[in-house]
Amino acid sequence: MAVLEDVTSPPAAGLRPRGVSRRDRWQRRLPLLPALVYTIVVTQVPFLVTLWYSFQSYFWNEPGGAHWTGVSNYKEVFTDPNFRSALWRSVTMTAIAVIVAMALGIALAVLLDKKFMGRGVVRTLIITPFLVMPAAAALIWAGPMLDPQFGLLNWLLEPFGVNHVAWLTTHAYGSVIVVMIWQWTPFMTLIVLAGLQGQAQDTLEAAKVDGANAWATFRELTLPHLRPYIELGILLGSIYLVTAFDQVRLMTNGGPGTETTTLPFYLYQKVNYAFDIGGAAAAGVVTVVLTIIVASFALRMFARVFQFEEAG
Amino acid sequence: MTAITAADAPTQAPAAPRRSRRAREISGQAGWAVLGWVVGIAFFLPILWMVITAFKPESAAETWPPQFTFSPTLSQFRLVWDGMGPFIEHSAIATVGSTILVLVLALPAAYALSIRPVGKWRDSLFFFISTKMLPVVAAIGPLYVIALKAHLLDSLWLLIILYAAMNLPLAIWMIRSFMLEVPTEMLEAARLDGAGRFREITEVIMPVVSPGLVSTALICVIFAWNELFLALNLTVTNASTMPMFLISSVPQEGLYIAHLSAAATVASVPVIIVGWIAQRSLVRGLSMGAIK
Amino acid sequence: MAGVRYVGASRLYAKGAKPAVDMLDLDIKDGEFMVLVGPSGSGKTTALRMLAGLEPLDGGRIEIAGRDVSDVQPKDRDIAMVFQNYALYPSKTVAENMGFALKMQRVPKPERDRRVHEAARILDLDETLLDRKPKALSGGQRQRVAMGRAIVREPKVFLMDEPLSNLDAKLRVQTRSQIAELQRRLGVTTVYVTHDQVEAMTMGHRVAVLSGGRLQQCASPRELYDNPVNQFVAGFIGSPAMNLQTAPLTEGGARLAGAVVPLAPAVRVAADRDRLTEIVLGIRPEQMHLTDAGPSDTVPALGGSAPAAASVGASAGADPGSAVLLGDVVLVEELGADALLHVRLTDGGGSVVARAEGRKPPAPGQRVAFRVQSADVLAFNPATGARLAG
Repeated sequence: MAVLEDVTSPPAAGLRPRGVSRRDRWQRRLPLLPALVYTIVVTQVPFLVTLWYSFQSYFWNEPGGAHWTGVSNYKEVFTDPNFRSALWRSVTMTAIAVIVAMALGIALAVLLDKKFMGRGVVRTLIITPFLVMPAAAALIWAGPMLDPQFGLLNWLLEPFGVNHVAWLTTHAYGSVIVVMIWQWTPFMTLIVLAGLQGQAQDTLEAAKVDGANAWATFRELTLPHLRPYIELGILLGSIYLVTAFDQVRLMTNGGPGTETTTLPFYLYQKVNYAFDIGGAAAAGVVTVVLTIIVASFALRMFARVFQFEEAG
Repeated sequence: MTAITAADAPTQAPAAPRRSRRAREISGQAGWAVLGWVVGIAFFLPILWMVITAFKPESAAETWPPQFTFSPTLSQFRLVWDGMGPFIEHSAIATVGSTILVLVLALPAAYALSIRPVGKWRDSLFFFISTKMLPVVAAIGPLYVIALKAHLLDSLWLLIILYAAMNLPLAIWMIRSFMLEVPTEMLEAARLDGAGRFREITEVIMPVVSPGLVSTALICVIFAWNELFLALNLTVTNASTMPMFLISSVPQEGLYIAHLSAAATVASVPVIIVGWIAQRSLVRGLSMGAIK
Repeated sequence: MAGVRYVGASRLYAKGAKPAVDMLDLDIKDGEFMVLVGPSGSGKTTALRMLAGLEPLDGGRIEIAGRDVSDVQPKDRDIAMVFQNYALYPSKTVAENMGFALKMQRVPKPERDRRVHEAARILDLDETLLDRKPKALSGGQRQRVAMGRAIVREPKVFLMDEPLSNLDAKLRVQTRSQIAELQRRLGVTTVYVTHDQVEAMTMGHRVAVLSGGRLQQCASPRELYDNPVNQFVAGFIGSPAMNLQTAPLTEGGARLAGAVVPLAPAVRVAADRDRLTEIVLGIRPEQMHLTDAGPSDTVPALGGSAPAAASVGASAGADPGSAVLLGDVVLVEELGADALLHVRLTDGGGSVVARAEGRKPPAPGQRVAFRVQSADVLAFNPATGARLAG
């Protein structure tokens, strides 16, 4: 693995002539600039505009455009029970989906690590849910799978006493989470599988000689080895899942009532149904601030992951 | 689920026949095979059901109990084929366009973060990742306004720009991880042989990194093709993509399940195939290059 | 206390392919330090892993302390193994690494700690290292932890798979003697695998030489050196390696570099019995004694051997038990105490290596003469490699 030249360490005194160093530094920066500038413009500018609009009262369907309104949007956001419940719902749905998907992912990774006939095909089957267009997955689950009249799930569960359940009405919360888990378990499985396959074989043999049975080996050696991978999976899964939108919009439209309204959907509603640009902007800013707080924990974890990448 | 294999059963019998060991091995393997296939099919079932339903006439799609035997028809696909024209065109342009833009930007950036790194490469990398952590949903209202004022609303360029921004961090991390695998000795040897910057790139780095570029491109294609939120909010007709086509297959009234399944199948199949091909790089892409 | 027996043990990786281990019969006594040595692919590591239970047997059986363990799990065989790359548990501290097997056996913590500390003391492992993780240790320290992990278990047999190969040269020599001394002290039967014949010769009570999955010879180091049973063993044991040259048979013996090397009668008989027209002569570098290169019969031999006259060239000499070989020095390797001469023998005799005094070795290009005693010369069948008479 290529070693990164450590440019951050100060050069030995007097060894590097000044002129070359400056030119060298700018030569190195040049290739990075297009991507950097592009990202800053496309991601930070909208955020600054959002910040601006959050202090404005701006309703799309009203004439007159935007006018300054101070922090009233923010007051609204903090007092709106819908915002709080949408936030809470996002957190809980994401947490449940990520944890269950990871637990399943570990189990499936252990399975896929064993040699058996057709293992490659099974792996391909398992990763497919992740590849399916989330919109398509949401619609297929909503219709052919979960429909009370003709859904496949009801038919499969009939021998167990399930009778034409309207999943998306009576168990909306659970149904959306199940679809999220279904789509993201392959992601967790692949990450954990990479970790499993990176385990040194002779360490496992040493454990065998030392008298550890399969479960003890898994508990004492494999799980500690997998820890950074599991952390990475949970971190990335949370980042992706907390902004998940397709399932809510296409399966339940946030309902019934607001049972499945997550933060992304709440914002979508504010823009498209309330036409409240200012309010959506304020809610967006609050979301971003919360995300930054969480993300700084996440980045610290990523730094640790980053370390283990360098260690090879 | 027990993880204890059959082979763990201790035997004290002296000189047990070799056959019993083979038998134990085979039955252990068979056990895992059965479990594996059951799980695999369980996960694949909704997709399988989607494809099956796509071949049904509507009358056979909304029945109880669900039908497994029916006379398959291509009529749903024909309807989809007729309707999807502009949508699939828009998806293709937005996907390919944004992926090309991503590669053009990410390649030099990755180079500047691995082989010939800038001083603050760690900070740059973290900056890119942090943009992925900021939810784009938060800015959707203002984004709409900006797009409108810039006359980019409902335009493919808007999608290309936004999808590129969405995939750029991913691509940079992935390509960087591929570049880190170029052996330093190879670079040093090239330098000793008098290769300039340009030759170093074309003759040493590109051959090693090319397969990685392909998989990075495939991952970007997957995410761009499947994207719904931005397309839903920022396009209407001139740039609406396949996910939008799917939504439009759900009418207010009337039977639609088979038609929807056909649309979903057509929408998903390209990316599924791409994903199957790029399977090995999926992990690297998903973990943003942290895991090889 | 336990002896180990391999009885016709075999391991095949694929049907119809050459066995990795082919009908190995080895009897290791209780408390013995047995070294399995051979080039890579010889089957030595496979044989060790079969003993460990990490490879199954495809034929024959293995016994530990008289009990057939061929189908017994590694953990029930009462063995401990030191792996080539140490195989330490990365997420555990040194103390936890060493105590792991005891933990699996449900040994109570105080007893575990006592034994871990005891093993650390024996191995000269600093107490402060016990709480570190393996990645914070040097190569030599990790090697000792791996040994400690094995010692703590007080097993019937120690298995070691090239434990020194990852150490630098100086540390290797140091650790070699430490391991040998440790084994003597603990008295545990030890099976040790290495590709380095110097390790084999210096550490083992007995050495088993393997090649191509088959046991070539199992004997004490001295016996292997003096009486190799075939060409492979002869060429493998000893450093620098024995010179092996094909020589046609003539009236007086075998013809090499223009001289006739006399052969013992038993060797002649064996050669005739096998209807050989040529044989392979084995002469160790230290048995090629430099003598004055002149054609004179009266020049005394250098290097201390006694005979009054030498047989030079085609003429029969006064000493029927020796021959003088002529050659040109191609390269001189000066080692300080002695020098290794790479010589091209005359008369198409091939290239040989000879050991000479370090003080004033001949120069490259010089013509030199060597006296060899027929008693020192070994003869092999060129086709089978088997030793003739002997």
